[in-house]
Amino acid sequence: MGTIGEAIRQRRSLLRSGGTGLILNAGLVLLVALFGILLIQRIYDQGASFFLQILAFALANGGIYALIALGYTMVYGIIELINFAHGDVFAFGTFLSASLIPIFGLAEGQAFGPGTALALVVVFVVTMLVCGVLNVSIERIAYRPLRNAPRLAPLITAVGMSFFLEGVLFLWKGPSNVHYPDILPSAGVQIFGATLGVKEVVVLVIAVVLMVALALFVDRTRLGKAMRATAQDRDAALLMGIDIDQTIAATFFIGAVLAGAGGTMFGLYYNTSVFDLGFSAGLFAFTAAVFGGIGNIYGAAIGGMFIGIIRSFWDGYFDSAWTDVVIFAILILTLVFRPTGIMGMRVPEK
Amino acid sequence: MHRRWLSATAILAGIAIVAAACGQAAPSSGGGADKGEIIIASNFPTSGADRASGRGPEAGVAYAVQLNGNIKGFKITHKPYDDAVNGVHDPQKGAQNFTDMVGNTKVLGVVGPFNSNVARATIPVANRASLVMISPSNTNECLTQDFPYCDPKPAALRPTGKNNYFRIAAPDTVQGPAMADFSIDTLKATKVAVWSDNETFGKGVADNFGKRIQAKGGQVVVRQDFDVKSTNDFRPFLQRAKDAGAQAIYAGATSATKGCIPRAQMKSIFTTDIPYLGPDGIGDTQCIKDAGDNATANMYFTNAAAEAAQDPANKALIDDFKAKFTQKEDLGAYTFPGYDCAKILLDAIGRAIDLAGGKMPTRDQVVQAVQDTKGLKLSTGTYSFDKNGDPTSATMAFYQYKGGDWSFVKQFSVGQ
Repeated sequence: MGTIGEAIRQRRSLLRSGGTGLILNAGLVLLVALFGILLIQRIYDQGASFFLQILAFALANGGIYALIALGYTMVYGIIELINFAHGDVFAFGTFLSASLIPIFGLAEGQAFGPGTALALVVVFVVTMLVCGVLNVSIERIAYRPLRNAPRLAPLITAVGMSFFLEGVLFLWKGPSNVHYPDILPSAGVQIFGATLGVKEVVVLVIAVVLMVALALFVDRTRLGKAMRATAQDRDAALLMGIDIDQTIAATFFIGAVLAGAGGTMFGLYYNTSVFDLGFSAGLFAFTAAVFGGIGNIYGAAIGGMFIGIIRSFWDGYFDSAWTDVVIFAILILTLVFRPTGIMGMRVPEK
Repeated sequence: MHRRWLSATAILAGIAIVAAACGQAAPSSGGGADKGEIIIASNFPTSGADRASGRGPEAGVAYAVQLNGNIKGFKITHKPYDDAVNGVHDPQKGAQNFTDMVGNTKVLGVVGPFNSNVARATIPVANRASLVMISPSNTNECLTQDFPYCDPKPAALRPTGKNNYFRIAAPDTVQGPAMADFSIDTLKATKVAVWSDNETFGKGVADNFGKRIQAKGGQVVVRQDFDVKSTNDFRPFLQRAKDAGAQAIYAGATSATKGCIPRAQMKSIFTTDIPYLGPDGIGDTQCIKDAGDNATANMYFTNAAAEAAQDPANKALIDDFKAKFTQKEDLGAYTFPGYDCAKILLDAIGRAIDLAGGKMPTRDQVVQAVQDTKGLKLSTGTYSFDKNGDPTSATMAFYQYKGGDWSFVKQFSVGQ
């Protein structure tokens, strides 16, 4: 027994130190540098205004990925479950807000004023709350009864929940693309020849505000403390009088609230959705969470941003047929060299 | 043991009765004409949701047969088949229909099928029996032409090695070049950005569009293939196109593969007067929905079917058809292409009868007669066939978005 415990401790400390050696880390840095040189060459050829424009798109993309990734990472952090249904909760958010928009009197092509902005805020809040309640119900129905079951059981119910939600979305709006009303103005301000659109600003500001709010919440509030404690050691937290069920439910709720906001932003920004959106978008958001270091909320935010940036820059400067290949190649390399992801080392799991 | 014999006898008896019934039916139905009966079969999806597509050409065939009930002493009849299962065209059902046609020696030709995947399943069945088939609507290029990406190859669809399949729709390979001509000659857009959904059809039309643009002295300023499952943001591509001076965007995609979503995202990058072009895959209401309020008059698509109504010479014909066929689905985009296919077949059967010395021609003779069709002027174009069974000059129609729907712009013949 002693030797096994010792081995686990060693392994953990190895993971904490974040790498399997100096050479590998150096190799990673070298690859990134090579890619950087190639990119800089292209950027130089295309000019500064194009670069700024792509950067604006990239940050908006990344903000949306980051919001979805946070839900994956929070749930994983607290009960070590990959909530496959999370992507579909996000897709549900796009569908729900698309349906809410006409109800609140918003329509494509109308002038954007304080009234429409207020209505949009209401759409955001309602979508976020409904997504939160949905995710808590999923946890109650499909995950809580299996909390002490073998690891594979809740994993399979998560996959099942994902397909179930996809089926519901399919029945709701059919197999075709769903057009999402274009509410936000297409205008923007000119900065060094690039156009910083209202849409990009809205998406980025909302994403950053929500992420900062989440960080403060987890860091400063009692519930946040309870979440951190539950993530670290559930049994010890229970002994300290923390209501585990409630804390876990709160985690699911907050994760889905962010996904709901992400879904609304996704629709407003891309003007489209589809019933199986949760699969592809969820896959990339999950990738972002792993990339940043799963279980770490700062890692998820950084990972999401990173994937958005790679995607936009690759589409903008290189051959877009290779975009997915590049994203996953970078993921594989990162995990080979740093098994815990970018942020997996510095901050203990949360 | 005893029981098994009994049931076997019963089955045999059943078969005998059916056979006898069939045998009896033959002389009675052939009684109307002097020399016998020739059946023209049609095979379209004519029930359920697909009825909107399939009933039009079926009515066209019925109309053509109605007008030509007797050729050189032979009575001509029309036997319609439905290849829809639960309202959706079904290759398996199509193959069953064709097996039935092949078994009926009076069937000398088939008009159909409507869908390329049904054609793929039915060509071999008809080919083994040298039964000629003419489709008004199949556009998949691999049905007739051999490209490296074709699976199955056209030769594999024709086990006898002899072609029996013809069509009057332009294959997909024609759509891209036709739109390139339109882009340069009519829209005056010589610098274009091209994207595709990276699928066989989409990438094919996009590549062919780009090649023709370059051949005509134009420039493809950006060329991208997307994995549309994971791509939602087309803005980097659009921005790149804009910076490179693109005067038009070509989408090698269908509505199902996000064909018109870039149009909506163009709003904050391009002015709305930049044309957005695509193949027939974007020519539906889904595309209009996806484009949102950026659906403007500068969206165009090509379609491989000619509109008979555009030729004033067809007015009397169409009016007569409307008087005789009054159901809602009877007059569709493919009604007169279907009518023309039947006319080609009837013309060929007439010549085959002559070749057979006034007797019932063989199926091989009919296949040869269709192949020999030369410059036959019909409602949707003038038709001859090359050795693959493709029309030598198919008609390409252009549609433009106008006031909430697609409307016809013009059509012209395109050589290959």
